[in-house]
Amino acid sequence: PCRMSVGFIGAGQLAHALVRGFTAAGVIATHRITASSPDTDLPTVQGLRKLGVNFTTSNKETVSQSDILFLAVKPHIIPFVLDEIGPDIEDRHLIVSCAAGVTIGSIEKKLQQYRPNPKVMRCMTNTPVVVREGATVYATGTHAEVEDGRLLEQLMGSVGYCTEVEEDLIDAVTGLSGSGPAYAFTAVDALADGGVKMGLPRRLAIHLGAQAMLGAAKMLLDSDQHPGQLKDNVCSPGGATIHALHVMESGGFRSLLINAVEASCVRTKELQFLADQEKISPAAIKKTTLDQVMQQPGVTAGAVGVRSQGISMFSSNPRTKKK
Amino acid sequence: MYPYHSQITHGCCQVSEEGFHHSLSGDQFQGFPSSLSVVCSQRRHIIRMSVGFIGAGQLAHALVKGFTAAGVIATHRITASSPDSELPTVSGLRKMGVNLTISNKETVNKSDVLFLAVKPHIIPFVLDEIGPDIEDRHLIVSCAAGVTISSIEKKLLQYRPFPKVMRCMTNTPVVVREGATVYATGTYAQVEDSQLLEQLMSSVGFCTEVEEDLIDAVTGLSGSGPAYAFTALDALADGGVKMGLPRRLAVRLGAQALLGAAKMLLDSEQHPGQLKDNVCSPGGATIHALHVMESGGFRSLLINAVEASCIRTRELQYLADQERISPAAIKKTTLDQVLQQPGVTVSGGANGNSRSGLSLFNNRGGPSIKKKN
Repeated sequence: PCRMSVGFIGAGQLAHALVRGFTAAGVIATHRITASSPDTDLPTVQGLRKLGVNFTTSNKETVSQSDILFLAVKPHIIPFVLDEIGPDIEDRHLIVSCAAGVTIGSIEKKLQQYRPNPKVMRCMTNTPVVVREGATVYATGTHAEVEDGRLLEQLMGSVGYCTEVEEDLIDAVTGLSGSGPAYAFTAVDALADGGVKMGLPRRLAIHLGAQAMLGAAKMLLDSDQHPGQLKDNVCSPGGATIHALHVMESGGFRSLLINAVEASCVRTKELQFLADQEKISPAAIKKTTLDQVMQQPGVTAGAVGVRSQGISMFSSNPRTKKK
Repeated sequence: MYPYHSQITHGCCQVSEEGFHHSLSGDQFQGFPSSLSVVCSQRRHIIRMSVGFIGAGQLAHALVKGFTAAGVIATHRITASSPDSELPTVSGLRKMGVNLTISNKETVNKSDVLFLAVKPHIIPFVLDEIGPDIEDRHLIVSCAAGVTISSIEKKLLQYRPFPKVMRCMTNTPVVVREGATVYATGTYAQVEDSQLLEQLMSSVGFCTEVEEDLIDAVTGLSGSGPAYAFTALDALADGGVKMGLPRRLAVRLGAQALLGAAKMLLDSEQHPGQLKDNVCSPGGATIHALHVMESGGFRSLLINAVEASCIRTRELQYLADQERISPAAIKKTTLDQVLQQPGVTVSGGANGNSRSGLSLFNNRGGPSIKKKN
């Protein structure tokens, strides 16, 4: 079990799924987990509380209570959050960004305004971490050490598959396994519709569809064979399955999935462009949220205006490097 | 002696999970909890019956691999037969320690539970061949798509009065113990027979009883389902490779994503649509991807697939309901091998009359003689 403290900036779907997975795996005790969000109405906040996580509305509190910090907020919020917590980052902190499209370079650049060698890693995971069958890849930043990689791999390996990759592959991974569960949920919904059309009760149809998908995926993971070979093995001559496959191919089934992976990857790169900007558009943040953050000691809004360049937050010591 | 189901003995387990207490005297035992199989299979083989497979192809191979991985039956209690010893699965079965034979009659003699794991159009042929050898103890489980229980019973009633028949539809992921199986029970099969089949098939995945008239739809959905998934995984990996991933990583990530999503769905009370919503953050990558899928009619293609497989299954049922097999559907060498067996002769279309088809006769009387016990 991990004896470090883990914090989540953001208390939404991703934080909730990771905490559920970690606790099911027993890899960290819930009292060592903190999560924060200015929005306490999120349905996941209640779930996190029930799991025994320390919940707070203060991101700064999460930072001070944690060694490993997962940034689990939407990509366009990242610069905002980094400005908020930047002054509080210390040597021990390992920042792990889970935000799609946000580069290590952009995070390091922001944090280097506050300290010289911020330890940053970037990961792309997915929601099945909640049942400990996630798919995670990560890339290591300039100042992170080998032990930091091992620590992250220990955590993420407890909730599914985890491997290190070159950072420039992460957008493609987002398109494939990051978004992948949504493709699967859509597929099972449709398969169940097919089953119901042919006479099955809905619950049975969903169960059989999901079980068939799970079994096939497991066969592929456990096998050295090509997916096409496994497909061939299921298609007896003149049988039902090859008839079904033909109608799928006729409709360009494969192409739709290639399109999906591509569309998700392309959008991820667009989000990266938005996140690379150092400022956030005032239109992207709720006034109430901004107010809540501004109420925290040490944070002021310098030069806030309705300029198209957006909001940047300054803490009371904008350019002081902390020792 | 344990006063419970005479076909299962397990004199071993010391466990008391799930409320089942095992006492030496057996007096406290009440009935047959299906949880027993989960508990005992962790300790030793609990099926002391012999299982036979008519047919030694993909399905037999997958089931044997699953059963042995589950430890639900010892391989020396399994026999499989096929006239074609060249099948790649045959050597796989041999390696697992299964008794392999080319004689279906030998499989029948050595088995209590008989899986019919041949192609649907071969079923009538096989039933004529083994009909005379079926005895009271035999439980016939047909796995053939589209073959009705009544067509099997009708054939077997030519040989004995109360043939115990069940029909199941399973799928190849039984090989990794994540199969999806449904079954229906025939006229003369008993409750214990259902329990036995459920015990076997549950050891390799999900298993539930259904009304027989749902089985064709199940074939279209979970019978063929793995092929839809393999195709999807191939395409997803292509997408990953197009966007820069190495092939192996792309295949791995795609399969892991599907596995994880399926597991979330099975473990959750929520609607698949709700789970999909949860993955789609506003303006994010995923909802962009979903849009292109919907634009191409993704869902419709899958509904079409389930429907097409189900309809073809019903067509196969029509073919199998015929009592004879077209001579064109069986290889001369295979026919010769079967005919070499003592007491078996063929009649009907062997003389080139393609309409009436082949039927096998045994010398203990033709298909019309009812055997006495």
